[in-house]
Amino acid sequence: MKARRNGRGSNDAPHGCENDSLSGRVLAKLVPLNLRASGTEDGMTVVSARSSEWVKPVTQQDPASAIIEIDRVSQVFQTSARKDHVALSDISLTIEEGAFVSILGPSGCGKSTLLYIVGGFVSPTSGAAKMKGQAITGPGPDRGPVFQEFALFPWKTVLGNVMYGPRQQGVRVTEAEAQSRALIEMVGLKGYENFYPKELSGGMKQRVALARTLAYHPEVLLMDEPFGALDAHTRTRLQNDLLDIWERDRKTVLFVTHSVDEAVFLSDKVVMMSKSPGRIRQVIDIDLPRPRRRNELLLDPRYQKYVVDIERMFDESDEAGAPA
Amino acid sequence: MMSPAAMTRRAAPVLACIGLLVVWQVASLALKNDSFPTAIEAIKAIPSILGDKESLVNILASLRRMAMGFGAAVLVSIPLGLLMGRSTAVAAFFNPLLMVIYPVPKAALMPIIMLWLGVGDITKTLVIFLGVSLPVIYHSFEGAKAVEEKMLWSGAAMGLSPPQRLVRIVLPAALPEILTGCRTGLVLALITMITSEMIARQSGAGNILFNALDMGQYDTVFAMIIIVGAMGICLDAIFERVRARLVRWSEPQFDMPLSFS
Ligand SMILES: Nc1ncnc2c1ncn2[C@@H]1O[C@H](COP(=O)(O)OP(=O)(O)O)[C@@H](O)[C@H]1O
Ligand SMILES: [Mg+2]
Repeated sequence: MKARRNGRGSNDAPHGCENDSLSGRVLAKLVPLNLRASGTEDGMTVVSARSSEWVKPVTQQDPASAIIEIDRVSQVFQTSARKDHVALSDISLTIEEGAFVSILGPSGCGKSTLLYIVGGFVSPTSGAAKMKGQAITGPGPDRGPVFQEFALFPWKTVLGNVMYGPRQQGVRVTEAEAQSRALIEMVGLKGYENFYPKELSGGMKQRVALARTLAYHPEVLLMDEPFGALDAHTRTRLQNDLLDIWERDRKTVLFVTHSVDEAVFLSDKVVMMSKSPGRIRQVIDIDLPRPRRRNELLLDPRYQKYVVDIERMFDESDEAGAPA
Repeated sequence: MMSPAAMTRRAAPVLACIGLLVVWQVASLALKNDSFPTAIEAIKAIPSILGDKESLVNILASLRRMAMGFGAAVLVSIPLGLLMGRSTAVAAFFNPLLMVIYPVPKAALMPIIMLWLGVGDITKTLVIFLGVSLPVIYHSFEGAKAVEEKMLWSGAAMGLSPPQRLVRIVLPAALPEILTGCRTGLVLALITMITSEMIARQSGAGNILFNALDMGQYDTVFAMIIIVGAMGICLDAIFERVRARLVRWSEPQFDMPLSFS
């Protein structure tokens, strides 16, 4: 804990109080087991500063198993002018278990639609998405969404929101409450348990939404521009905290964003999409060490190169795509 | 200690009532019309009505019918409105029916209903039921339609089935809007209660009022108007208290400035 905090240097200061709550003990209760068998013991030595046995070192990826397979998915919407609008065209993508994958692209390229298809909220016009080999036919607690709009239950307090999922899954009240309180602490909202969503800021609401989704232990997190509605400062803090949480837990994350920095900072893999029709342009592996620290990474030439390269690729596609 | 602003706010409704009575008193004295008693005469007639056992029985009978009509309407209309709001098929079926019923004054249906069901409680309760239903259906419908899709998706991801989502997400999410409809419904219940007793003269608060009118007891007529008005204010104030408690959590846009509480 101490070593880690030192390692983070000055960047700790603005949200130090929140990170205090991210203690290993709290997490041990929350994230009791890593479902994957790959959390090897030598992983501990790589990141010994963080006393968490479930950390899987990125550097020694095992033969990764696919958790989500998207197979030639297309989505056509009927527009009001009765014309067909191809939102997604022939998308194929495999997401490996435990990976942090970002979908990056301009507004309207179908990022949300793709995420909704994986979530089972929308069924594709053609093609299929699979979760662990099973065709996705609807939403399920194995895939937990976090939306840009938070979508909290406004009639429930923070605690009520976070407890909702576990209670629905049949967890006993006392147990659900204990777990939820620990999660609320983990996302830095200790003391706000009895607040209603209307009494919280945007950043706090998104923290509650994240805790609410983590509470029912989905295997995959589906995050649709979760920080898009937040101011830059809050956004940075939430990115850091998300990484903190993820680096312990290593859930599979499918993260939609239109921010190049955000995608590179967070991800193992960036899926670049282009617009009209929505297609995958390129998939880029982000080979940066973890745990990632923002202040170190911003100075890292490799990080800078990823950002610049990806931005350049988007610029080129804009020029190519401009009407003649 | 109350702040001056809070005190003004508390005192305002009382002042408004006193002002109204003063205007009434002055107007009545100025007009010197037999059928327009002064406010003081009307108020003096109130104790004799409330002290009379038969009148009280009548008024309580009215309130009972009103409660039953209102309760039944709410129990039927909220589920119907919510279903309409979440299912285009249900909405497509019921919308035309409601459009036909909506502009018809419910009291105008009374003669027909009386023909079928007699002049008793059932007819009057049914008319109240009809009067209350429409605003409650309408507001439940609007409330259910406005429920954020992502909220339902979040529930679906947690494993809630469609009926569970209707009861455990759509209903609470639409509650502020539903209660707005219920409040309108409550006032309409009072109105249709009196109207129904005017048409089917047999018992009730409306019956006292119109009997007194027939007999030229104008102070009793106006006393009954005051009593009915006071009942309306009290019911509304109680309802508003309950509503405010139930939707403490909601955004302030649902706060209704028009309130007697
Ligand atoms: N329900 C819908 N009906 C019609 N068109 C839609 C619908 N949802 C999305 N679209 C269209 O599909 C395209 C992709 O949308 P979306 O997935 O939201 O993009 P992104 O999330 O990348 O901004 C957009 O052009 C949008 O207008
Ligand atoms: Mg989107």
